[in-house]
Amino acid sequence: MKNYFSFTLKTALDDFSHNKGRTFLTSLGILIGVLSVILLTAFGLGLKKYIKQQFEGLGTNLIMVMPGKGISGGPRGMASSVGGISFDERDLISLKRIKNASYIVPFFIKFANIKAPKKTEYVEMAGSNADVFPVLNLSIEYGQAFKKSDAEQGRKKIVLGPGIAKKLFGSAQESLYQDVKVGEQNYQVIGITKAKGGGGLGAPSIDDHVYLPYKSLASYNDSKKFFAFYLKTDEDKNIQLVKDEVTKILGRRYKTDEFSVGEQTDILNTVNSIFGALNFVLVGIAAISLLVGGIGIMNIMYVAVSERIREIGIRRALGARKNDILLHFLMEAVILSSMGGIFGLLMAFVVVFFIQNLFPAYIDLVSVLMAIGVSSGIGIIFGVFPAKKAADLSPIDAIRYE
Amino acid sequence: MLLLQNVSKEYHLDEDIVFKALQNINIEIEEGEFASIMGPSGSGKSTLMHLIGLLDKPSRGKIVIEGKDVSLLNDDQLSTLRNEFVGFIFQQFNLVNKLNVMENILLPFVYARKKLDYNPEKHAVYLMERFGIINKKNTYPNKLSGGQQQRVAIARALIMKPRLVLADEPTGNLDSKTGQEILNLLKELNKEKITIVIVTHDKNVAAITRKQIKIYDGKLV
Repeated sequence: MKNYFSFTLKTALDDFSHNKGRTFLTSLGILIGVLSVILLTAFGLGLKKYIKQQFEGLGTNLIMVMPGKGISGGPRGMASSVGGISFDERDLISLKRIKNASYIVPFFIKFANIKAPKKTEYVEMAGSNADVFPVLNLSIEYGQAFKKSDAEQGRKKIVLGPGIAKKLFGSAQESLYQDVKVGEQNYQVIGITKAKGGGGLGAPSIDDHVYLPYKSLASYNDSKKFFAFYLKTDEDKNIQLVKDEVTKILGRRYKTDEFSVGEQTDILNTVNSIFGALNFVLVGIAAISLLVGGIGIMNIMYVAVSERIREIGIRRALGARKNDILLHFLMEAVILSSMGGIFGLLMAFVVVFFIQNLFPAYIDLVSVLMAIGVSSGIGIIFGVFPAKKAADLSPIDAIRYE
Repeated sequence: MLLLQNVSKEYHLDEDIVFKALQNINIEIEEGEFASIMGPSGSGKSTLMHLIGLLDKPSRGKIVIEGKDVSLLNDDQLSTLRNEFVGFIFQQFNLVNKLNVMENILLPFVYARKKLDYNPEKHAVYLMERFGIINKKNTYPNKLSGGQQQRVAIARALIMKPRLVLADEPTGNLDSKTGQEILNLLKELNKEKITIVIVTHDKNVAAITRKQIKIYDGKLV
């Protein structure tokens, strides 16, 4: 049996090396197909992982209360795009009565210019209270966060993300205790948060955000309206309990479809299902090239069979059964297509390696197994007809073939 | 050992044109026989050889090998019988160009279903030594002379230790000296109790065999 396969393999490989150009072009079809499928899958996986990381950065016991029905994205950037109700301090006070919520944080989001002596930057400002730091899992690298009293008195204190601090002052440390101007008001930089990374994909980095007491933003937010509330429960298992309570409390004032109460996993699931569907379609389109590659293999295998009719006849005369011939050509087709598959996979690894700095794509074990399995499968499916043709040749016609 | 009873072979060239390649052939070949089937080209001798070699089936009549009617065998069984019972030697040598000498000789063994009571690699080496081609063990057929190729083909025909060796014009592509060497080789093999049937158009070749079967226009004469 060992002999059987090594002989078949040898004749197959030998045939390929005699027809290098043909072999290369035939496998190229599969190579391109596998490459595109693997790359698109890798992008999809990378994107999913990236989004998950962004969400997990906020912790899992987080509840978000937003106007409207849409739970798809955080409060960032949504302030102006979502209409409907806006919450106010009355809601904040009533929500504070919820027992199992350890933190409740209001958000007033505003994009504005922030001026340092030498530079001005357009930033996303989050007007909130002192609990914003534990709720968003932000730790302070230099200086300190604003205190509860700072928030309540609306003191002009500001905490910068490390990214924006660097842009304004050259480095995070240097920005500490400096003054910046937000609108017409002077603020003192009292802290810089620890870098969290993220951003990329065209989204602003969380490191570029600034945090200030919402009460200090009277010039922008006179009536103290909020875009959203974030609540953190004391334990994961209380999430549903707290959600129900939020719904009950806000339900007294608003219609139930005027606001929504969601948690991290809801948003994550929504986002994942959207990207999942999109990726599925893309991978499906890429899979068409695999089909085309398979047809190429079938074509070349038909050529190989008709070139080797005499050899088939010799093998039959020496005792090869129909199934031996079938297996022989099937093996050749599988080798041809899995060569394309393996090289496609290797190229995908190379591409992913080089773009990793720009995009968090990655190839998982399932993709590797799929690439090898699918490319061998294509060899079998598209190789079986030419191989059958070879096996069904009558020995006498084959050996007399000139 | 081998019996052909009233064997006929017809080809339907067109709807109503029937070519009778063989008509009512009766041949018996004994164990250890050294026979030739002789006739001019077109006489049906090749068709006859293909029938004896189990590459083709007769239109009528019976071929009996060791008491078994081969028309009752299916394709796989015929393949096995070709593998174990018959060794082929062709005019065109019919070596596989992609395999070297050693591999060509071992090729029938690749398709063997039965367990051999000898080591085929060792047997191949023995045959190569005997036929003076051992130094060509790793050479490919296109680098060999005609005589060397035919020796490889004979070694291949013998690797499964067949009871019957069928040689179709074994000297047809060789010069007379080399041809004579090949014939001497076959003669020697026959002395070792291997049944040999040579198909030829050449009287001189047929002359070395003990039993001469002459065929003309598809009939024995």
